[in-house]
Amino acid sequence: MGVWILAVCWLATAGGAFFLYQQWQRAKQALEESEIRLLKMKDSQSQVIHTTKLASLGQMIAGVAHEMNTPLGFIKSNAEVVRELLGEHRAMLVRWIDFMQKLQRADLSQPNATVAVRRLAERIESEYRAQQQLDEADGLLEDAHDGLVQLATLVRNLKGFARVDRDGMDQLDVNESVESALTIANHQLRDRITVERQLGEVPKVRAMPSQINQVVLNLITNAAQAMGDQGTLTIGTRRNGEMVEIAVQDSGCGIPPEVLPKIFDPFFTTKPIGEGTGLGLAIVHKIVTAHGGNVAVDSEVGRGTRFTVSLPVDHGALKRERPAAMTPKPGAEDPNP
Amino acid sequence: MSVPIRILCIDDEARILRALKALFREHEVYVTDDPDTAVELAGRHDIDVVVCDQRMPKRLGVEVLRAIKQRHPRALRILLTGYSDLSAILGSVNDGEVFRYVNKPWDNTELRQVVQTAARIARDAPVLAPELSSEGEKEAARRVAQILVIEDDPETQARLREILMPHYQVRFATSPERALQVLEQHEVGVVISETDSGRADLTGLIKELKRHHPMIAAVVLTDRANAQLAIDLINEGQVFRMLLKPVRMGSCRLSVEAGLSRYWQLKQNPDAAARYVVAADAEAPRERHWVNESLLKRILALPKRWLISPSRSKPDAEAAYY
Repeated sequence: MGVWILAVCWLATAGGAFFLYQQWQRAKQALEESEIRLLKMKDSQSQVIHTTKLASLGQMIAGVAHEMNTPLGFIKSNAEVVRELLGEHRAMLVRWIDFMQKLQRADLSQPNATVAVRRLAERIESEYRAQQQLDEADGLLEDAHDGLVQLATLVRNLKGFARVDRDGMDQLDVNESVESALTIANHQLRDRITVERQLGEVPKVRAMPSQINQVVLNLITNAAQAMGDQGTLTIGTRRNGEMVEIAVQDSGCGIPPEVLPKIFDPFFTTKPIGEGTGLGLAIVHKIVTAHGGNVAVDSEVGRGTRFTVSLPVDHGALKRERPAAMTPKPGAEDPNP
Repeated sequence: MSVPIRILCIDDEARILRALKALFREHEVYVTDDPDTAVELAGRHDIDVVVCDQRMPKRLGVEVLRAIKQRHPRALRILLTGYSDLSAILGSVNDGEVFRYVNKPWDNTELRQVVQTAARIARDAPVLAPELSSEGEKEAARRVAQILVIEDDPETQARLREILMPHYQVRFATSPERALQVLEQHEVGVVISETDSGRADLTGLIKELKRHHPMIAAVVLTDRANAQLAIDLINEGQVFRMLLKPVRMGSCRLSVEAGLSRYWQLKQNPDAAARYVVAADAEAPRERHWVNESLLKRILALPKRWLISPSRSKPDAEAAYY
């Protein structure tokens, strides 16, 4: 009997142990699966961030292409037309030379010779005046030159925006970021939105310039989209204590209070599917906090929204600049007396 | 270069205007940066060709062109633009009925050629009324001319069936071959086509069809946000309307009705078809055809269903313009 009881107990224990083991296996499997899911999600998230970067690159290129195509249009056309005009001018000169040669050979003692010569000279001259090739060419070349200056400025701004030449931390004047981001965003704004600049004298911040440019561009793009057909975009910079502030304000639709807490969440978007990634503001938030700064938002439905990015002043830069700029020591210019 | 062409250029950039004025210095060129003045100038100087920028601060080029089309329909309209978003292009087809879309920076020889062609057409080809005047004529058009839908997506097909069947005689085709069969057997006034069926690129068929039979109105459905594709369809296919998918009842009905109207008018007034010719070899020389040999032969063999023959006696009516 006792053996039976023992056997039953043993079986029960073994069954229980087996059951527990199975549960443990299942839990482990679930954990592994969720870990894989998490990894996959992280992967897709970084993919989306990468895609967003490409999208903003595409947007930048489209904008710049538009800005460039107008000057390219008239420069290209003018170069060709000036060449044609010079051809016409050359033909004119050939006629003049021909005339001079005839004049040299002519027998001016003939009774009507001087009258005939004068007539011919007058005809060529009036023909020339009527055409005015050189004046026209002058004007076209002047326009082409202006256009080239415009293109050069654009390329400089573009370089300033992308900062391909110097990546990494650097001293940055945020006003430069604002200007270059406005250049890039110009094609989204120019037909319908008035831009007001309120840029103050601000100390430099220590930052990754290309990232701060991205922040400003994202805020401008958001503002432009919030305003629909018309509006005013106000961009201001100022020093507030130990921080430098960049404020981007639109006169758009505003953000409802219930949505406001979510706007910096990754993948949160109010735009139709396919139009927004929901990462624009998340990226702004991530970049700014990584720089030791913060983003504040102030919005009223129907009136507009203001985003304020605050970045810490670069004290290193201030200390380094101050002795040189404010207390120049006598004889400092000559290090080898 | 014999008769000076009267050209009106509209752009907010003064340097573009000066460049165009110099480019067309043998012709009579009027320039302005003001949309309202532009409309007035077009009428006052009996302009042949309008060259207009798309993006201007006061108004979009499409809107200016639409106003000019109403005030002075004789002029042909060319849109000159540095940046094309799809909505602007759709607007230029559907509202502005532009003759050509030219990108900045342009090619001087090409632009001169396009303007020459446009001017010749503007002077020679009669202008059609915006639409058919009488209900009786509309009725007759619906009775005689059929609508051909080239679409293999069952959902869109069902939608079009629902929108069009109650009002028109509609035939469906899912491939270019089948579409030609319909065209051979029936008088088709309007072709509604997808740009890309699962099996074949349909834009080639549309372009080649329009090239040889400019009176048929082409309504293109697209869900592809591809600006260049749309520009090519304007220049090389002279599409009548371009609609975004999913198809909406109102715009679809209006487009088909207007297309049928246009077909019916051209049938009675074939000389006006020159206004809707596609960019042909004179503007853009090419070695290849848009479709394969056998399809091309069948397109060429399609009967011309003019009500009276065009005053230009050549069988290929459009060839006479180049």
